[in-house]
Amino acid sequence: MLIELKDVNKTYNNGQPLHVLKGINLSIDKGEFVSIMGASGSGKSTLLNIIGILDNYDTGEYYIDGRLIKGLSEKQAADYRNRLIGFIFQSFNLIGFKTAVENVELPLFYQGVSRSRRHALAMDYLDRLGLADWAGHYPNEMSGGQKQRVAIARALITNPKIILADEPTGALDSKTSEEVMQLLGKLNREEGVTIIVVTHESGVANCTDKIVHIKDGIIGRIEDNREHRASMFGTDTIMK
Amino acid sequence: MRDLFTEIWESVRRNKLRTCLTGFAVSWGIFMLIVLLGAGNGLMNSFMQGGGDFASNSVSVGGGWTSKPYDGLKSGRRITLDDTDVSLTASEQFLDHVDKVSATVGANATISYGKKYFSGYIDGQYPAVQEMSKVEILHGRFLNDKDIDLSRKVVVMPESTAEKLLDNGQSPATLIGKYVKVGGLAFRVVGISKSERMRNDNNLYAPFTTVKTVYGKGKDVGSISFTTKGLNTKADNEAFEKQYKSVINLHHRAAPDDERAIWVWNRAEQDVQMKQGRSILSTALWIIGLFTLLGGIVGVSNIMLITVKERTHEFGIRKAIGASPWAVTKLIISESVCITAFFGYIGMFLGMLTCTLLDKTLGQAKMSLMDQQIAMLVDPGVGLDVAIEATLVLIIAGTLAGLFPARKAAGVRPIEALRAE
Ligand SMILES: Nc1ncnc2c1ncn2[C@@H]1O[C@H](COP(=O)(O)OP(=O)(O)OP(=O)(O)O)[C@@H](O)[C@H]1O
Ligand SMILES: [Mg+2]
Repeated sequence: MLIELKDVNKTYNNGQPLHVLKGINLSIDKGEFVSIMGASGSGKSTLLNIIGILDNYDTGEYYIDGRLIKGLSEKQAADYRNRLIGFIFQSFNLIGFKTAVENVELPLFYQGVSRSRRHALAMDYLDRLGLADWAGHYPNEMSGGQKQRVAIARALITNPKIILADEPTGALDSKTSEEVMQLLGKLNREEGVTIIVVTHESGVANCTDKIVHIKDGIIGRIEDNREHRASMFGTDTIMK
Repeated sequence: MRDLFTEIWESVRRNKLRTCLTGFAVSWGIFMLIVLLGAGNGLMNSFMQGGGDFASNSVSVGGGWTSKPYDGLKSGRRITLDDTDVSLTASEQFLDHVDKVSATVGANATISYGKKYFSGYIDGQYPAVQEMSKVEILHGRFLNDKDIDLSRKVVVMPESTAEKLLDNGQSPATLIGKYVKVGGLAFRVVGISKSERMRNDNNLYAPFTTVKTVYGKGKDVGSISFTTKGLNTKADNEAFEKQYKSVINLHHRAAPDDERAIWVWNRAEQDVQMKQGRSILSTALWIIGLFTLLGGIVGVSNIMLITVKERTHEFGIRKAIGASPWAVTKLIISESVCITAFFGYIGMFLGMLTCTLLDKTLGQAKMSLMDQQIAMLVDPGVGLDVAIEATLVLIIAGTLAGLFPARKAAGVRPIEALRAE
């Protein structure tokens, strides 16, 4: 198993203690394309942040590739995030004063890759996402879809084992959403990247092979969606 | 390194005005530091130059009055130095510490050349006095050993004295080789020296032996001066003086520990005091300058804090994609050091420029003090050592200014930063 959570609990202690994750058990294999669905406030983002080593959990165990992820130093966590995980966010989270290509280069900068090499690699990835012409543009000169593709390029550039996407289509229209999901699906099929997408849109979830339902901090139903028939709105459109 | 500078430049570029305003405070601090130290140096140089007409290792000795009875003689007796004191000074027993010995006798005399005359003082000296009193020869030569041996009737006079004997516009050099009358006797002028601020202008140098015979002073000597060697500490100097006094005192049948039988003026000791004064002054100026700089540093720290606050989201992104806390710390501290150093150097440059201006203006202005012309500031400015020290101060200051903001930036939690939208 690439990702393994055993009885993971998380409580927020700002003022009123809020028990958000109440014993999560979840295994995700290498090469899977999974979506996590659930109502607002059900703890999807919290779970994804723990998987992405952006946040700590209180009890339980979490393994990536058999390595226990617990009590890491900040430096170690940063290093794991950098090498193992690529993030895609709803609001893109590109750095506004850096051009597309500079944004894509950034993870390699923190790996100490030389200037020219990381520039070449970043251009390569932008090209693959059809953004070669936009390399020198700043995020505010690009459309949402373009920005998200830049973010995807940035997530991919370190060649991570896992891609985590929190509502990657949340800020996009349905057509662009579909393009992004198709892109992720293609990456999953062709490169074998493990992808976990958090969403509350069934159309988005329908693009994935496995749908994990989370409700009130525990894992509910796990749907096998290899047939892509989960969406009541049809098989190949995302309704907004 | 280049990446780091690119990042810093990007950040500074976005906050030009804010950075410049704070940078100004740093520039001002360093500017004040440099100008204060420079002016302080100029002031000290001026003091030093006041007493600078004597070599720092020279000692002058003169006769005094005994202050205690000794060997059956009462106190309050006048002591006059004589030839034996000169030979005692130059004798074996002081060989380790006494270098060149010179003695003086002198007399008042009317000096005339053609129709012009004035009343002056003829100073019987040894050639060694040139080095001790730093006599600078403009034309001709100074007294030499032959003059002493042959008791030649020759004189060396200061430029300003020579001018008194000449018609307006005549160069003092024309006097060389001419004879002037000193109290009725003809002396040949062999040299013209530069006029000295600390010395009476009416002093003419003549060979010791000549003055002694001509003015019939017998064995008596006006004063003895000599240069010392191998006296490096205050203790060394004091021990030597004590021994020297006891030897000379005994020769005059005065108590060996009588402090007043002869007076000894040791330039070296005064030098030590000067140096102490100088270091106290510069310490005080450093402290004032550093406090001025402190204001600038607090300012830089402040804008760095604001910057960090504004960039929280960005640091969250960076950390999420793999920036270690140290990478973020480094970014902020380098930015702080760069701002401090950049504006600091502007301040340093302007400070040095101001010192140069001070030199051109106040440095040329003379102040009249007790009939002497004293430059208010002599060579104001700071040396390379201060520039290097100030650079170090800037780097340390920049680091300190960035430390707190950097810790804040490094402590940004990515999830919180990313949520903050
Ligand atoms: N840092 C925090 N401090 C306190 N409570 C928090 C914190 N982060 C999240 N919560 C709470 O935890 C619960 C789960 O939040 P989470 O963001 O995981 O939900 P979600 O499933 O992603 O919801 P959405 O679909 O709206 O994004 C929510 O009730 C939220 O208010
Ligand atoms: Mg969420």
